[in-house]
Amino acid sequence: MSTDVKASADTPPPADTLPARAPFSIAGLIDRHLGVLSFIILMLALEFGLRYFRVPDYVLPPPSQIFTALVRGFAPPFLSPSQYYVNIATTLTEALLSFVLGSAFGIFAGAMVVEFKGVRRLALPYVIGLQSVPKVALAPLFVVWFGFGIESKVLLGVLLTFFPLLINTAAGLSSVERDRIELMASLKAKRWTTFRMVKFPSALPYVFAGLEMAAVYSILGAVVGEFVGGNSGLGVLILSRNAALDIAGSLAALVILAVMGIALQRAVAFARGRLLFWAPVHDRLDADS
Amino acid sequence: MNARQATARTAPDARGGAIPTHARDNAAGPSAAVPPTIEVRGLSKTYRSKREGTVLALDDISFTVEEGEFVCIVGPSGCGKSTLLKILAGIVAHSVGTVAVRGKPPSDAQNRLGLVFQAPVLLPWRTVLQNTLLPAQVLGLDPKAAEARAHDLLRMVGLEQFASSYPNELSGGMQQRCSITRALLHDPSILLMDEPFGALDAMTRDTMNLELQRIWRESGKTIFLITHSIPEAVFLADRVLVMSARPGRIVEEIKVDLPRPRDLDTMSEPAFAEAVRHIRGLFGIGGKERPHVD
Ligand SMILES: Nc1ncnc2c1ncn2[C@@H]1O[C@H](COP(=O)(O)OP(=O)(O)OP(=O)(O)O)[C@@H](O)[C@H]1O
Ligand SMILES: [Mg+2]
Repeated sequence: MSTDVKASADTPPPADTLPARAPFSIAGLIDRHLGVLSFIILMLALEFGLRYFRVPDYVLPPPSQIFTALVRGFAPPFLSPSQYYVNIATTLTEALLSFVLGSAFGIFAGAMVVEFKGVRRLALPYVIGLQSVPKVALAPLFVVWFGFGIESKVLLGVLLTFFPLLINTAAGLSSVERDRIELMASLKAKRWTTFRMVKFPSALPYVFAGLEMAAVYSILGAVVGEFVGGNSGLGVLILSRNAALDIAGSLAALVILAVMGIALQRAVAFARGRLLFWAPVHDRLDADS
Repeated sequence: MNARQATARTAPDARGGAIPTHARDNAAGPSAAVPPTIEVRGLSKTYRSKREGTVLALDDISFTVEEGEFVCIVGPSGCGKSTLLKILAGIVAHSVGTVAVRGKPPSDAQNRLGLVFQAPVLLPWRTVLQNTLLPAQVLGLDPKAAEARAHDLLRMVGLEQFASSYPNELSGGMQQRCSITRALLHDPSILLMDEPFGALDAMTRDTMNLELQRIWRESGKTIFLITHSIPEAVFLADRVLVMSARPGRIVEEIKVDLPRPRDLDTMSEPAFAEAVRHIRGLFGIGGKERPHVD
């Protein structure tokens, strides 16, 4: 195991490979914009397909109607509860609070579990027990205990984001190369110094894998919490659009949720790129972007 | 910048040393008879592994290293040399026997020695300079003085243009040289080195051997160095400890009386060749595994 690590430390890094700039060609253009192109084709196919087969709007409206609903949702009056602004603000606040609090607690707990044997013995049975509970099933209870405000949603989100960070942080801290810790031991470094200067930075790739999951879970927590009982938020909006059989409005809210999710994940990926410039990127699907 | 470097290099001595060292900083008190810096008696080490059960890595090892002495250790691969070094550094516990470094257990907080691992063990998120400065941060040394010293050390090993490079931009040999500057940064009076020059080409290796000898002569450090190269051991050491294949035992101690300072011509002297031949002979008879010899 340690020989693997040593070998990889010795291999020179892959040179920055510049993609050879192909001379202008239609094929090259298509290749570069494949994502956008396929999206446009898909939307056009849906648009005409749904119209051609006369699929009713209350089952699946064509993309143009979803687009219209989006435009209408962003129009004034800006502060109306049926418009997007207030609902986006609510859901975003819930998601961000869940993300930050849940991640912070998760990282802290993961570190405590690895660093202190007593904590591990005491807490691990509970962690394993709680982890196997489907946490969204707790949402109705949280609404009873903490009301229809954002507290119940944040709590659900915290619970959802907490575990991936606890587990990833613990895994990262447990797999720090022994040589690195021995290096600090040879300097008789204090435990906290070793943690701060070597162990935690070494665990950061794992922590970031957890944060990427947490970005998804935090929005999930907010929406599920709103479904179960809330006054405001995109989840509430989806329910009310559904009740009015306004499927286009419902799907438009879903598009906004998707954009929010992507934005949060991008933010995490950006921070990761900044902090983990030294870590290999082979495990990233979007490594070329 | 220039002024700082100038002050850091105020006293170049006759040998033209660029790296300031405060000799014998941690030397024991004024007692007349200096106790051995490293004292090992009846040391054994058993590893417990899940697959193989127990592995006896070191068996009844005894030796001493005097203050200011340069001791090299050679032995076949897997005989427990790295294990011995880690025990001396206080990062691996031994099983039987006594080990004292300056009269204290190796893990004592006072024993802040310099350690060069067999692998470079650089932190990938730190530049070469920041890696070199690690001991200064851990030990709370003056950052300005430490940085000036780090630059001097990097110049010595030929890495000054790479001070702001990251380890994954360096070759294996360059990484290893950086790990040497890190081990020297806090000017430890005891230096433990595990095949420090193994990844270097022959010419760089000769240069590094000469530099190491110079540093040792100027600073009065106690150096304990593992090598696979018998000529390197004879060239550097006052005394060579020869180990047998696993379980590691000390088969023989050879005193090397070649005059100092030694240079590349030393290697063509008959006494040098005789010592090398003698140690090779030990492996030919005793060892089951022949060591890699260059
Ligand atoms: N952490 C460990 N757990 C179990 N066995 C170990 C451990 N470290 C080393 N060993 C065993 O102890 C023996 C000595 O290992 P060591 O690394 O000290 O050898 P070495 O003399 O430094 O070899 P080399 O010259 O190849 O570096 C080996 O047989 C190895 O399998
Ligand atoms: Mg070794």
